[in-house]
Amino acid sequence: MIIVLHREIVIENRSLGSDIYRLVLKGAVAATARPGQFVHLQVGTTADPLLRRPFSIAGIDRPKGEITLYYRVAGRGTAQLTRVRPAETLSVIGPVGRGFTVPAAGELLLVAGGIGLFPLLALLEAVDRSAVKVKALWGGANRQFMEDVGRETLFQTGVDYAVATMDGSMGHPGVVTDLLKKVLAEKSAHGLAEATACGQGADAASAGGGSGVLADRPGGRTAFTVAACGPRGMLQAVAESCRQAGVPLEVSLEERMACGVGACLGCVCLVRTADGMLVRRRVCKDGPVFDGREVVWDETD
Amino acid sequence: MKPIDLTTQLAGLTLKNPVITASGTYGFGEEYAAFYDPSRLGAITVKGITPLPRRGNPPPRVVETPAGMLNAVGLENPGLEEFLTTCLPRLEKLKTPVIVNISGFSLDDYALMAAAMPEDSCIVAVEVNISCPNIKQGGLAFGTDPRSAEEVLRVTRKHTKLPLIAKLTPNVTDIVTLAKAVANGGADIISLINTLLGMRIDIKTRKPILGNIMGGLSGPAVLPVAVRMVYQVYKAVRLPIIGMGGISTWQDAIEFMLAGASAVSVGTANFVNPLAPVEIIDGLAGYCRQAGFTAVREIVGLAHQ
Repeated sequence: MIIVLHREIVIENRSLGSDIYRLVLKGAVAATARPGQFVHLQVGTTADPLLRRPFSIAGIDRPKGEITLYYRVAGRGTAQLTRVRPAETLSVIGPVGRGFTVPAAGELLLVAGGIGLFPLLALLEAVDRSAVKVKALWGGANRQFMEDVGRETLFQTGVDYAVATMDGSMGHPGVVTDLLKKVLAEKSAHGLAEATACGQGADAASAGGGSGVLADRPGGRTAFTVAACGPRGMLQAVAESCRQAGVPLEVSLEERMACGVGACLGCVCLVRTADGMLVRRRVCKDGPVFDGREVVWDETD
Repeated sequence: MKPIDLTTQLAGLTLKNPVITASGTYGFGEEYAAFYDPSRLGAITVKGITPLPRRGNPPPRVVETPAGMLNAVGLENPGLEEFLTTCLPRLEKLKTPVIVNISGFSLDDYALMAAAMPEDSCIVAVEVNISCPNIKQGGLAFGTDPRSAEEVLRVTRKHTKLPLIAKLTPNVTDIVTLAKAVANGGADIISLINTLLGMRIDIKTRKPILGNIMGGLSGPAVLPVAVRMVYQVYKAVRLPIIGMGGISTWQDAIEFMLAGASAVSVGTANFVNPLAPVEIIDGLAGYCRQAGFTAVREIVGLAHQ
């Protein structure tokens, strides 16, 4: 039996600006956490606000036993969370969910929209960059947001990256999917994607827990893969671009959640399986990372 | 120190303690086995099942409310056949009495499902859900009309020897009328309350938040409504009661038992504190010891004296 209910000690809880906070927790979660998994945090001890909040894990430091989370102050729960001080403890369910496939070779493209960057940071950290060529595309509202968040996260990692902003104040003026289309077009021009796939496997079996989504599908192992997280509309556009380019994609979904452990069926999505069946999946337990080719984005279709 | 007798009697059914998990909050029993041994519970009530599989409502299905939450899952479930062939063998392994919650869209549906429940398995009772607010036909329609409610119980009664629990909705003018109706229909036990119909609107998009527009309210916010209804039904009907609605702590459970509940169900609290049911079991014993009761059943209905 894997115990997933812990009390973790707050090491740091600090504003980065733009309503984004960094929360570092020390405890048992780090030992088994994998990129793409999340924790379900209780922000207070009173009945209001009632429910736990899910936060994706952005950093895993096993030697120190610490995980790093980032959160945006979006409502009463996260506002309450900002008042938690170092040395206090928080009730944590985690690590939970199925994470990203960590490729062992080839190329990995990370596509992030806004705070969708955070789970991808954990994947970036887990990838062996001497064996995998990694590039990150990140879109956000404006320069202020990108600098506040990026200077202590993505911009420090040394990874090759490009940014897009909605107001054009930094990088490409527009959305991150514009950047993705450009990269995929270049790939296509160079005949990459499937063409260079020559048996490089995806290493998702380390450290126990659920393995990544693509690892289950031998046909999904190619040299060039995309991992994405962001608003649903953005992910839908990413999925469409990747489908057209024939590139495997993993997406991390977000949904309103209650239990966080797969019992309440509150946070579902719709998936079309390989044999064409439409089935429900629980974002908390069967995800939050899904094969981007399987997700049905619009239920009214 | 003599241990407190926590057993409770529900019609012919004896549970080792009065703490049950509520339908729809506990899946088919496996998820919470990561937190404690489910065999510690008096019983578990599994997710409501229907004759055929249901995909349920589109998301969002849950939204937080002041001291509570709304859900509109829409009875997503694997259907009767899959339940019997896949879920039930797994439930047997939990070594816990199981209450199966059944929902239907016609009297025949209820009859079919009652008849399909084995009488020699871990299933100790059938909870007849006539109160789901989240499906278009059936469900709540059966539960708000006393004649329909009575008829559903009467038909179900004919098809199983297992104890029948009628789960009542609070979305009625007079809960006592419904309680009497299901008693006449042949219910052995009454469970209440299901969720209160509610909704929330996103002020940014100016649209209802839930995919189903409306949903069922649960959590601490509904507790006083539930306590009141348990109190009213206990006074009017002789059947044993399983009380539920916002129970998060042993103090809440005691309150329901004082109002007349012989057992209690923990629902939404599982989502917040997965250990709530076992903490409540321990708390009940502690309360009895402190107050000088030797058996927890001694406190049932004391608020009426």
